[in-house]
Amino acid sequence: MNLFELAKRNITGSSFRSWMVFFCAALMAGFVIAATLVIRGANDSLRLALDRLGADIIVIPEGEEQRLKSALLMGIPVHCWMPDTVVDDLAALPGVQAVSPQLYLSTLRGATCCSVPEMFLIAYEPETDFTLRPWLEENLEGGLALGEAVGGNLVYVPVEQGELLVYGYGLDLKGSLEPTGTGLDQSMFFTFETAREIARMSSDQAVKVLDIPPRTVSSALIKVELGVDPQQVAAEISSTIRGVTPLETATLFRDQREQLLSLLNSVVALLGITWVLAMALIAVIFSLAINERRRHIGVMRALGARRTTVLQSLLLEAILLALAGGTVGIAVASLAVYLFRPLIMGLMNTPFLFPAPLQLAGLGLGALVLALLGVTLAALIPALRISYQDPANSMRE
Amino acid sequence: MISIQNLNKTYTVSKELVVPAVRDVSMEVEKGEFVIITGRSGSGKTTLLNLVAGLTRPTSGKVLLDGTEVWSLPDKEQSLLRNEQIGFVFQFASLLPTLTSIENVMLPAMFGKKQDEKYSKERAAFLLDQVDLSDKLQAFPRQLSGGQQQRVVIARALMNQPQLLLADEPTSDLDEMTEHEIMDQFRGIHQETGVTVLLVTHSAELGSYGTRSIQMANGEIVAAGAQPDPRRAMTN
Repeated sequence: MNLFELAKRNITGSSFRSWMVFFCAALMAGFVIAATLVIRGANDSLRLALDRLGADIIVIPEGEEQRLKSALLMGIPVHCWMPDTVVDDLAALPGVQAVSPQLYLSTLRGATCCSVPEMFLIAYEPETDFTLRPWLEENLEGGLALGEAVGGNLVYVPVEQGELLVYGYGLDLKGSLEPTGTGLDQSMFFTFETAREIARMSSDQAVKVLDIPPRTVSSALIKVELGVDPQQVAAEISSTIRGVTPLETATLFRDQREQLLSLLNSVVALLGITWVLAMALIAVIFSLAINERRRHIGVMRALGARRTTVLQSLLLEAILLALAGGTVGIAVASLAVYLFRPLIMGLMNTPFLFPAPLQLAGLGLGALVLALLGVTLAALIPALRISYQDPANSMRE
Repeated sequence: MISIQNLNKTYTVSKELVVPAVRDVSMEVEKGEFVIITGRSGSGKTTLLNLVAGLTRPTSGKVLLDGTEVWSLPDKEQSLLRNEQIGFVFQFASLLPTLTSIENVMLPAMFGKKQDEKYSKERAAFLLDQVDLSDKLQAFPRQLSGGQQQRVVIARALMNQPQLLLADEPTSDLDEMTEHEIMDQFRGIHQETGVTVLLVTHSAELGSYGTRSIQMANGEIVAAGAQPDPRRAMTN
């Protein structure tokens, strides 16, 4: 017989009280982990998407801002064109360190010549590219050759086809990029040369020709010189080059970030209310339970239990219930967030990245510690009160 | 063994109402005595017992156990003193309902200095056998009669081989036959172990079980028998 066994017996001996505390702990921990997963998942996703772009400014044809955001966030393909002379104009501007053009394409819907319908395709220029290069250098020596591609985390080669068909052209998928939770996970990257080869062959191999207007690009990615304010460069672009819109990547997803911030405020308020109520309920439950067991606690003191022993015994009950309830709450909430990812993305209108198992374990541990502290704190006052009471008073009717 | 000096205990119910429970009580109890304190309900006998055990702080006066003033000790040492030197039998159902008989008896061993679990278990089983409950080791309190529960409590009180056994109305909820069975048990323990017993009861007729009887009324000792030879009860 030891304190742990005693606490366990007291927990099982009062099942209603124990279930209530268990439920409160599950609610507290579950709410924390769910809120963290959703807010952090959306924020991480936006951050990773920006990192993937790797540019300070994206220049696109005027009026295409919303469609580009939809493409980057949700993977909804965008087709837009601007003269390739823009690239040289941009490179000539002061403060611009590098400019790299891209082509935005997409596969066809419901066509046998395309393995995946309406996939967002991004073609880059290897000579000037600075966004994919670090990943390519790290993972694929020498970059991508003609006919080769890398995909987002969700792009794979269909087993039954054995190759990834784009306008009837079989692409060799050389690797997958890290997940971002955005539309980029369902996008594919290849070189300008491959894009033009697909377009050339499409007249024979595809049900519809891939049309890339000559001497055009879809966007130009800009890296500014060290110490130069991208906002200044963007203002310069707006005033000197007609028909284009410069988007600073730092503010690209401002709407989504503001929405997230507002959601975060609401969640924190709701979390606070839930926690206060749950802790109050736990404190009341523990007060009632301790009052019910007042005499037996007095007996324990009379038999030689120290104040700290009584306190430990009562807090151990709270800790065990918090651990059990918290673990279940975290597991259920995490599973629910995982299963309802599409619904969450739809409701929040933001991308969402579920954390890797190790990260999830860390977050879960954090939520468990918080629940543990919350429940223990709620039980502390009634436990302290009884343990510091004269044993004779505790035993009195 | 026990020296009580000008002991007072008052309970403050409100600013205007202060109730004196024990009034200027002084007495000595020698080692090996079996003292029975009788008195009506509210006479202060339970409070006196609690004061002796260090379960409540006196308003004034001193209680010395083997020369040590209980309330001068910090909680850790006071608890250890209760654990090692005092055995308690309470008036009310004092067994922990979630523990079996043997676990309840082992409880004092859990609160004291670390003891071998096997030894504790064997001693608890032995004590339960001594009170004729060897077949109820795994029974929970709700499965025992009032008399059986009180016998488990007596076994528990003896777990750490105390020098002093304090019993507060141990027979109050029992029928007459069981009452005498329990009192015989106390007498037997006193005779066999030589433990000092301080037993509180409202029943004056139970006074004959002890080596000395003291009567209390309104928080004061109103009649005290002479201090006899502590071994008298052993030959009763």
